[in-house]
Amino acid sequence: MAEERIGVFVCNCGTNIAKMVDGAAVVKAATEMPGVEVACAYKYMCSNPGQELITRDIRDHGLSRVVVAACSPRMHEGTFRKAVERGGINPYFLEMANIREQCSWVHDDPAAATEKATALTRASVQRVTHHQPLEKRSVPMCPATLVIGGGIAGLTAALELADADQQVYLVERQAQLGGNVARLDLTAPYLDSARDLLRDRVTRVTRHPGIQVLLESQVVGLQGFVGNFRPTVKIGTGELLHLEVGSVVVCTGYQEFDATRVRQYGYGRLPDVITSFELEAMLRRGKVETRAGKTPRHVAVVHCVGSRSREFHPYCSRVCCMTGLKYANEIKSAIPEAYVSNLYVDMSAFGKGCEDFYKRTAEARTIFLMYEKNQAPEIRLAGTDPEGGMLIAMKERLSGEEIEIPSDLVVLMVGMEPRRDSDEVARLVNISRDKDGWFIESHPKLDPVATTTDGVFIAGACQAPKDIPDSVAQARAAAARILAKIHQGMIAVDAVYAEVLEAHCSGCRVCNELCPYTAIEYDEVARRSHIISAACKACGCCAAACPSGAIQARHFTDQQIFAQIEGVL
Amino acid sequence: MAFEPRIVGFLCNWCSYTGADLAGTSRIKYAPNVRVIRVMCTARIEPTFVLKALSEGADGALICGCHPGDCHYVEGNYKTMRRFAALKRVLRTYGIEEERVRLEWVSASEGARFAEIVNDMTERTRKLGPSRVKVQRAADTAAR
Amino acid sequence: MADRKLQIAIYWGAACGGCDVAILDTNEFILDVAALADIRLWPIATDGKYRDVEAMADEELDLTLFHGAVRNSENEKIARMLRAKSKLLVAFGSCAHLGGIPGLANLVDLDQILETAYLSNPSLEPGNVTVPSSHSEANGHALEIPRLYPRAYKLDQIVDVDYYVPGCPPAPAQVKGVLLAIATGALPAKGSVVGASDRAMCDECGRHKSEKLVKQFFRPWQIIQDPDECLLEQGIPCVGSATRSGCGVRCPNSGMPCRGCYGPLPNVKDQGARFLSALASIIDSRDPEEIEMILDGIPDLMGLAYRFGLPASLLQRRLPS
Repeated sequence: MAEERIGVFVCNCGTNIAKMVDGAAVVKAATEMPGVEVACAYKYMCSNPGQELITRDIRDHGLSRVVVAACSPRMHEGTFRKAVERGGINPYFLEMANIREQCSWVHDDPAAATEKATALTRASVQRVTHHQPLEKRSVPMCPATLVIGGGIAGLTAALELADADQQVYLVERQAQLGGNVARLDLTAPYLDSARDLLRDRVTRVTRHPGIQVLLESQVVGLQGFVGNFRPTVKIGTGELLHLEVGSVVVCTGYQEFDATRVRQYGYGRLPDVITSFELEAMLRRGKVETRAGKTPRHVAVVHCVGSRSREFHPYCSRVCCMTGLKYANEIKSAIPEAYVSNLYVDMSAFGKGCEDFYKRTAEARTIFLMYEKNQAPEIRLAGTDPEGGMLIAMKERLSGEEIEIPSDLVVLMVGMEPRRDSDEVARLVNISRDKDGWFIESHPKLDPVATTTDGVFIAGACQAPKDIPDSVAQARAAAARILAKIHQGMIAVDAVYAEVLEAHCSGCRVCNELCPYTAIEYDEVARRSHIISAACKACGCCAAACPSGAIQARHFTDQQIFAQIEGVL
Repeated sequence: MAFEPRIVGFLCNWCSYTGADLAGTSRIKYAPNVRVIRVMCTARIEPTFVLKALSEGADGALICGCHPGDCHYVEGNYKTMRRFAALKRVLRTYGIEEERVRLEWVSASEGARFAEIVNDMTERTRKLGPSRVKVQRAADTAAR
Repeated sequence: MADRKLQIAIYWGAACGGCDVAILDTNEFILDVAALADIRLWPIATDGKYRDVEAMADEELDLTLFHGAVRNSENEKIARMLRAKSKLLVAFGSCAHLGGIPGLANLVDLDQILETAYLSNPSLEPGNVTVPSSHSEANGHALEIPRLYPRAYKLDQIVDVDYYVPGCPPAPAQVKGVLLAIATGALPAKGSVVGASDRAMCDECGRHKSEKLVKQFFRPWQIIQDPDECLLEQGIPCVGSATRSGCGVRCPNSGMPCRGCYGPLPNVKDQGARFLSALASIIDSRDPEEIEMILDGIPDLMGLAYRFGLPASLLQRRLPS
């Protein structure tokens, strides 16, 4: 290998580094390291003149490699890579030594800090001689999209994409579209008809030439990578469909909490304790009545069933408070003389129009009774006759009194929970679930619809409990992201990825199951494994596992890391 | 001169390296004995790296990754966990003291924890004394 | 110099003789060798003496096949002598290539070895306190015997080596190939491993490979093996994926897992460490306790991973306490 000509640039970062690390000493030590052609220090390497210094020195001294000893690479690796590129050499011929965040800022002995800075610089000098010139590449992007789930989020995403003239495949497990919204009567806080809202969407989706709706169908396989996915869908007849899409939007929604688990509520035992969804069914039929067919006079709505609980789910299901108020209004409207009580822990009226809704519901003479979280009320029969009404015993927090509320009908606001099959779905599309089982987004604040798997998006309640407006917003956000990618036409592949060195692969298949992005495929004919570089995220686990050393993790090769280990000691 | 351990640290970019940087921005002070090598994920770390560090005379090796379940690459840290379990057994047979090689989980927000781990490991390694690898090699050569 | 016969030596360090047998196993070919070459030193088969070798000119030997590890002062002395007297020095067999089985002695101290062999062995006469030493005197005569070293070495840790022929022992077909290559001068770059491929055993192994996820490890006799499926997938730790092929897959074809005797692949520094990484990676568990339990299924992890290559490994030997 030809002798490399290395330039070492030590930043003083004003006094941030200079205060503790003797830059001149590091420079002097660097000039004596093998391959170092030029070494210097500068007060702010990331500044324009600092970058200019690097660019100029590359040209003037014919440098082939650059080491910048400065702040953390997480800060300025990009900056210096560009400076190196402007100097006329490959941007990956740069290596940084972190002598600020992990040296000058954390040590108080100048001699020790300088020695460590020198060692880190030496490690970088030794590593950089083994760097390879890496090039970014692009692969084409298939414009079709697979939407999994035909609820409100899925319908919205499908329409958004299809209205922009893109092909959509909408896969729904059930025999009809609509998901959980199809079970609703009205929506809070404006008491709009859920049916009308849904009917409009379902009609448009079913009629849209750009959307292929697959009912009673299930995605059973997903191969490929962003821009080039190959899903396999099992349709109603049992036949397997092989599709080609560029993106996937997961809108699988939620299931409701099983109220039988809260024994003291008597759900399943007491005939007139029902869930919110059972009440919805009654409201859609137009009649609110007890099991015996009587019109209830005292109705209680119990909030936080299965939610915000140490025993069941710790999280808040977000929609139940306003839905509970919705029921108070609907019952009062159906049975004007009924007494309605809402038994709640906190009233979560965070959304637009919700505080007003709360106020109006109170004005409609609903009784609000607050109970302590983890001190849930107890529901039992008032007497021995199952049709003789019930009593709800609770400790009312605002008065501090133990009270008993008579009820003919109790509605349990069951919380949302991840679907039973969500772990199967997660594994299928290669996304993760958080500790509660909801799908994880790329970044909780800044990237709520993307996932760690490029090209797979999540929208709606499958990501976390949310209401219709938020589900719709996320679905449209996912669609927008996809449309932007389609517009670009090509997917950029990062230059840092792992590759199988054909000449050394024995086809042992140790690596095959290790990739979390299913980027490794096995060629049965050639009997070799192969990494799809576009799908590779460069974690390096296959490279570390390969017993033949046949997988090279570009930019993190064994040789480079060994050189660093030697240099740092 | 008192013995100052030299420990090689392998930190994953997303959690532990960021956590270490956070210790820096928070100006938390800790011992200068750990020299860090950055990898994208602890899953890149092979037992070979630890053995290489020890054979080059490192007094210790510290591997820091994301907490289980939080890996940026989904499950890289589980692979590290398994490899480390196998490596530990072999290190025992090699006669390398258990405390010289350590696997810790440090999240991006745990700057203080990183500093604590570095200090603790430096102390323990100091008590163990310098690595005997190079000394033994020299003694073996002298015996020929 | 036309028709001059090749001058060769075949020598053993800390060896078992298996490599010599492998050379003899080439059957009739050995007669061709005898026709092509003068075997100037071959302790197991011919009558050459050390002083004959000492008397040679430097590089008088065209080829020396050195097998066995370097464990004592005699091994080293003759290795150096043969290096000086040979144009080509080949590390022949696992012991010379990697340290081999004798290399496992690097897990114990010299004192322990002498103590076990001469003092506490149940087959010894009780009360024996005699332990051999390199220098002894009796009846006015002094006797020097080779000094035992504290650890075993592979050949290239002692002298410069030109080629490596791996295997415990190398397969007869390969021995033939190597000798012919040397005879005809068709040699690869210096330092190459000859007689083995650059891919792992799995390339040659006819067993079917699928997903590698293991929940339990077994000894070969503990399960009824499927003869057509990969051994490692069945939970039998086979080192083949970390070992060069070229031996004809003799062990897996006989229902026994590969033990790694052909040594590591070209890109691998430490065969045992690589294998451990692969083995641990395919364990199908995320639970720390379960992982330990699964690893407990392999009673001797060091022996499994470093059976032939301990002196060649990064740490090379156990550190005495």
